[in-house]
Amino acid sequence: MTTTSRTAKARGPRSRFRRRVAGAVALGIGLLAVGGLYAGLVPQPQVATAAPGDTAKVAQGEELYNNSCIGCHGSNLQGVQDRGPSLIGVGEAAVWFQVSTGRMPLARQEAQAERKPTLPQFDPHTEEGLANLEALGAFVQANGGGPELPAESGELLRGPDPARGGELFRLNCASCHSATGRGNALSSGKYAPTLDPATETDIYTAMLTGPQNMPKFSDRQLTPEEKKDIIAYVKSVTNGNNNPGGNPLGGVGPVSEGLVVFIVGLAGLIGVTLWLGAKN
Amino acid sequence: MTTSESHQQRTPTAAELEDMTPDELATLAANLDDVVVVHNQRKFPIPGTRAEKRAERAVAGWFIISALAGLAFLGSFLFWPWEYVAPGEPGYDLYALYTPVVGGMFGLCVLALGIGVIAYVKKFFPDEVSVQQRHDGASDDLARRTVMAQLAKAGKDVGIARRSLIKRSAGAAAGVMGLGLGIAAVAPLVHNPWKERENSPLWHTGWRETNGEVVYLRRDTGHPEEISLVRPEDQEAGSMETVFPFRESERGDEEALLHALRKSDNPVMLIRLRPGTHVIEREGQENFHYGDFYAFSKICTHLGCPTSLYEAQTQRILCPCHQSQFLATEHARPVFGPATRALPQLPITVNDEGYLVATSDFIEAIGPAFWERKS
Ligand code: FES
Repeated sequence: MTTTSRTAKARGPRSRFRRRVAGAVALGIGLLAVGGLYAGLVPQPQVATAAPGDTAKVAQGEELYNNSCIGCHGSNLQGVQDRGPSLIGVGEAAVWFQVSTGRMPLARQEAQAERKPTLPQFDPHTEEGLANLEALGAFVQANGGGPELPAESGELLRGPDPARGGELFRLNCASCHSATGRGNALSSGKYAPTLDPATETDIYTAMLTGPQNMPKFSDRQLTPEEKKDIIAYVKSVTNGNNNPGGNPLGGVGPVSEGLVVFIVGLAGLIGVTLWLGAKN
Repeated sequence: MTTSESHQQRTPTAAELEDMTPDELATLAANLDDVVVVHNQRKFPIPGTRAEKRAERAVAGWFIISALAGLAFLGSFLFWPWEYVAPGEPGYDLYALYTPVVGGMFGLCVLALGIGVIAYVKKFFPDEVSVQQRHDGASDDLARRTVMAQLAKAGKDVGIARRSLIKRSAGAAAGVMGLGLGIAAVAPLVHNPWKERENSPLWHTGWRETNGEVVYLRRDTGHPEEISLVRPEDQEAGSMETVFPFRESERGDEEALLHALRKSDNPVMLIRLRPGTHVIEREGQENFHYGDFYAFSKICTHLGCPTSLYEAQTQRILCPCHQSQFLATEHARPVFGPATRALPQLPITVNDEGYLVATSDFIEAIGPAFWERKS
């Protein structure tokens, strides 16, 4: 008893001082941590900016825009009633997805823009086409802002874990695109397309920008690593990959498989039965 | 012609039986059953011909193929590289062949065995046509009366009628067993799912607050143990995310975390509408949303499929099973298809740490209709 009270008394003033210092230090650390976290976690606002070196590209992009897009999307990307939506905030990622896959420019107004042969001046397989796509993207990015193209392309966009990608694909994408990316119908003539012809960059930019009726998947909803794993999964099940049974029969599951079993399998069984019972 | 007549006509004496060859005995057996062999032609009347040897080899060939395929199946099943290899990685071709090889070998094993048996029957069994007389009507009076008397006498001989102790105990045993079977069959039908009254599981989901703990919205990152809570700034306008409930007390508890992701009534669609979208709230649920964020149960009110085909432009939520469509901008009421009720809405808000949290469980039962539902 006595010892404790003595030590407590002896420590009294010093420990109060210490507590104050400790409190101040803790507060300082806390503020720093919050500030650091804020800077780290809060996303950079998506502001339309153009580096000075890009001005030539932006100007080239503007020309392309005025030739191919202005009719539906308006002179200031603001969109035209009943023709095309505003392009403010869609970013170069959307330009890549829509134009390089031939969906834009639109052939006619219909339920949904379809993939079709790309305009020759935007063909991503030619150098000129790539440059034009880049210029058009730079123009839209400079004037409207929005998601940017990923730094990598091709195989570099495939993540290391297709199994996790598959898990995420089934959770986020399979309801519309089907578990192996075959695509499927939506309401009123719209549909989710098959993922066979889509390149890695196409898939990445589609997730980022949510073309047509697809929802957007921001980098905070699906991190770039998760997106890449999803791409790795898609690439591992599309284009004839992973068909251990041979012919996938359209990859649409029990419908076509059941039909084949019914017609081919049952007919075969009946044939064998007849042969077994036949006299020779 | 009745059985007794034919028996009397054809039953040979003991001496005659002694003299009969095995072939004659077999014919007699058929005759006793009123079977007449009209035609019987051996496949190879002269044994040892070239043709017979060839047929024999063909049959044996199928059996040997079957045995070899069976061995190949065992070998490939045990030793073929089966672990997943992504396309393009070294070893993919070998891995991709695992299923076809294992399945093909086993299939060949069964198929060749079957073909062997059939080939044997077809090649070696004689062509035979036999006719058996069909007997009309009941057995004759004599047979019926003697059989009945025989049964009665057997009963009397073993004395079951006098042994009432055995009779009763046997009856009790059989009766209890029958009762048990009957109860086992009927019991699941009388199970009362409403035992817990308003706490019964059909009324509640994993979003229900327990022990006053905050229920956060959590996303699935593909790693169940990784906890990624949802903040409003995570989602772009015009997007949808599937979220699951999370409580702080589950942190580190792998089983609870996985369970929350897998429980069938947990998935909720968190939808962020574009700003300025015109929305019609459901009466009494006006404060269930947080800004442009709306949370609806993912379980279809028709038959419980996941209705997760969200169309970001038309704001429709589509169910892939029977094409019900729900309008996200009008409290997810059904606008097409067989579903009749709106998807239940989860009341959400943002807490002072900036995370989206559920303010309570759904205020109605989720999923398909059931008897006790009022609406
Ligand atoms: S289960 Fe959704 S429409 Fe039938």
